[in-house]
This record gives sequence, C-alpha cells and structure tokens, in this order.
Amino acid sequence: MSNLSDAPMEGANGNGQSGHYYGRGIPYLPIDAYPGKLIAIEGTDGVGRSTQIQLLREWLEVRGYGVVETGWTRSTLMQPTIELAKASNTLNKLTFVLLYATDFADRLEKEIIPALKAGFVVLSDRYIFTALARAGVRGVDRQWLRNLYGFAIAPHMVFYLNIDVKSLIGRVLESRGMDFWESGMDLKHGDDIYDSFRTYQNKLLKEYASMADEFHFRVVDARRSVDRIQDELRRQVSAFLEPADKVSEPALTR
Amino acid sequence: MTFSLLHATDFADRLLYKIIPPLKAGMIVLADRYAYTAFARDATRGVDRQWVRELYSFAVRPDLALYFRVPIDVSVDRLLARRVKLKFYESGMDLGWSSNPVESFRLFQGKVLDEYDQLVREFGLEVVDAGGSITDQQRLVRTLIAQHVAMTRVDLSDEQPV
Repeated sequence: MSNLSDAPMEGANGNGQSGHYYGRGIPYLPIDAYPGKLIAIEGTDGVGRSTQIQLLREWLEVRGYGVVETGWTRSTLMQPTIELAKASNTLNKLTFVLLYATDFADRLEKEIIPALKAGFVVLSDRYIFTALARAGVRGVDRQWLRNLYGFAIAPHMVFYLNIDVKSLIGRVLESRGMDFWESGMDLKHGDDIYDSFRTYQNKLLKEYASMADEFHFRVVDARRSVDRIQDELRRQVSAFLEPADKVSEPALTR
Repeated sequence: MTFSLLHATDFADRLLYKIIPPLKAGMIVLADRYAYTAFARDATRGVDRQWVRELYSFAVRPDLALYFRVPIDVSVDRLLARRVKLKFYESGMDLGWSSNPVESFRLFQGKVLDEYDQLVREFGLEVVDAGGSITDQQRLVRTLIAQHVAMTRVDLSDEQPV
C-alpha cells in the first residue's frame, strides 16, 4: 500500500502534519496556524462512536471548550442527494466515492475549517478513513483515493475504535440490527445478510487496520465498557489539549 | 471543491452508463464537453490543477478532442444575442469578482479561456476556430474526424457517406 509520506506532495500547505492538508489541499483556503483542534473518532458501523462522542462533547464543554460536531453524510448540500442515490440502485463504486467526497468537502469548507479558524474543538464522527476503507474494500484504486482526499486536513488526533467481528455482531444485533449497506449487500456476497455482514465487516476491519500506521491511529480497544473507553479517550484528549497544565500543576499546587 | 466534485460525480455516472458501454460495442461517442471543461473551470475557481487531473484519471482518454476557440467578446455577444440572462455559475458569480453578470462573465470566462490555451498544449487538443462560419467549422471537424475513424464502417449502414 502506498504511503502519503513516501510521496510528499506540494500544495497549499500539504505536508500531512496535524492541522495541515494531507495532500494538495485547497489552494484558495490556506489553513496555517488555525487555533482549533480536529479530533476524529473512527471505527466501523455500530462500534459505539456516537455514544463516545456525545460523552466527550459534554465533558469538553464542561471544561470550557467550544465544541463542534460533524459526521459522515451530514452536509446540508449532499445529504438528500446521497439518500436519493442510495435508494435509486444506480450508484456504482465510483459515484459512491465521489458523492461521499463531495459531502466531506462541503462539511470541510462550511463547518470544519470555519470552526478551526474560530478556535473550536471539532469532533468528527468518522473521517476520511471510513471512505478509504469502504472504497478500498470495493476495489477502488488506493492511490487514487489518497490523491482524491488530498484536500482533507490531517486531524490532530485520530482515535480508532477497534473491535473484532464477533463482538461487533453481538453489539449490532442488540441495538438496531443489520442494515443493507453496513452489511455490504451491494457487493453481492450472497443473499444472507448475516453472512454478508460478517464477510464485509471482516474486510472493512482489515482495511482500517492496514491504515493504522499510515495515518497515526490511536487504537482504542472498543470491546470494553462505554465508561472504560471514555476514560481512555478523555485521558488522551486532556493530555493533548492541556499539556501545559500537566507541567505547571505541581508548581501551582505546592 | 463541491462544485468540482459534484461535476466529477456526474461525469463518472455518465462515463460508466453512457460512454463506456457504447465504446465497448464499437460505437462512436460524441461528448459535448469532457474532463477538459472541468480542468479549465475548476482551476479558474482556485482548485489545485494537479489534483483535478488526478481526480479525473478514471476517465477514458478521447481518441480525438476538439476545442472550439472563440474570443471572449464573440462569446459574450453570441450569448447576449440569444438569451436575456447569463447563468450564475457560468458567469463565475460565485467568485464575487463583479456584481455585474456580464462583467463577471468576461472576467471569469476570460480566465477559463487562458486555462484552455494551456490545455491545448498539455493534451494536444485540436483547435477549431469558432469565430468562422458554421460551414467552415463543420468541414474542418469532418476532416479531423475522418483521420481518426475507419470510413469502412460506413459500409455497414444504409446511409450514404456525406
């Protein structure tokens, strides 16, 4: 698999460092030295991202941070189109990828970048890695995908909620059940949604795992209880957002 | 970016449903605009040139690409003679360069034309002088196309060659 750092691309300020564009970026939107922080919570369908983000958000707000949340396919421009396209049965892997990328671009320009500029902590429920994993599983060229998402900002932190398929199946069945797309039924692994879910999610998890080093995932064991996972997230986020407090704490208390 | 990506999505859909199947069947596909339009328009809107080229790398490279070149004044005159109002995006009004649609069109499309001139060199587009008469243009187009199409194919149809 290709690595972005192997092929540095010149762009607006694309060097793949946290807070910078991964690749060629958006030339008309230079983002150097924005005070906000971008934190992405990644993980497959049903792994518990939304719960963690909700808890993280409350905790951050109590501590005085302004928090903005953004999530996959939530752009006002694209959400209706994506729902319509999914229902029409004419989507192919390429148009699927491009619709998602358009949604992401809209949220990046209209939500994420303005929030970073204004000093918010942006919590992203999924980031480009979901798109890369889903498209990678569907056989889309991985280098092309990385070039495409070269306009994305490298988050300051990427938490990857890691889980095995067996635990995932239990969790999904306990909550809302298996859905057509999350089971990869479009890949025609078979008519059985359970088998399809297992095969598809297995591939997805491998795809996510293969990106862990490339994109500096902080891997979090998502099989544990909600509270344990939240504790770990808070510990890491706190260490990142308030490193100065840690250093100065002894001096202040003594 | 969303302007660029939405057009790419539309293009991908047409490529896979309308362009590739007839090509596989050995037919001739005439495309009114192609990826070059995106290269010119998106670059003018400030999107990274190389990024757009990589984005469209899934496109089939045409056997022949014709570029109908026309000075900006002729373009404006023709459009204004035919309709009342210039389209918002066609005039680049989204860029906020001018609140006057005609002035904005001139500024925006002027830059688009500069981009096209670069594309002619980069991709070897065949330039047709679109300032001339339709008959002259069509003669040149037919000559250019004849060089790329095996005319024996015409024997397969009932129609007489023009």
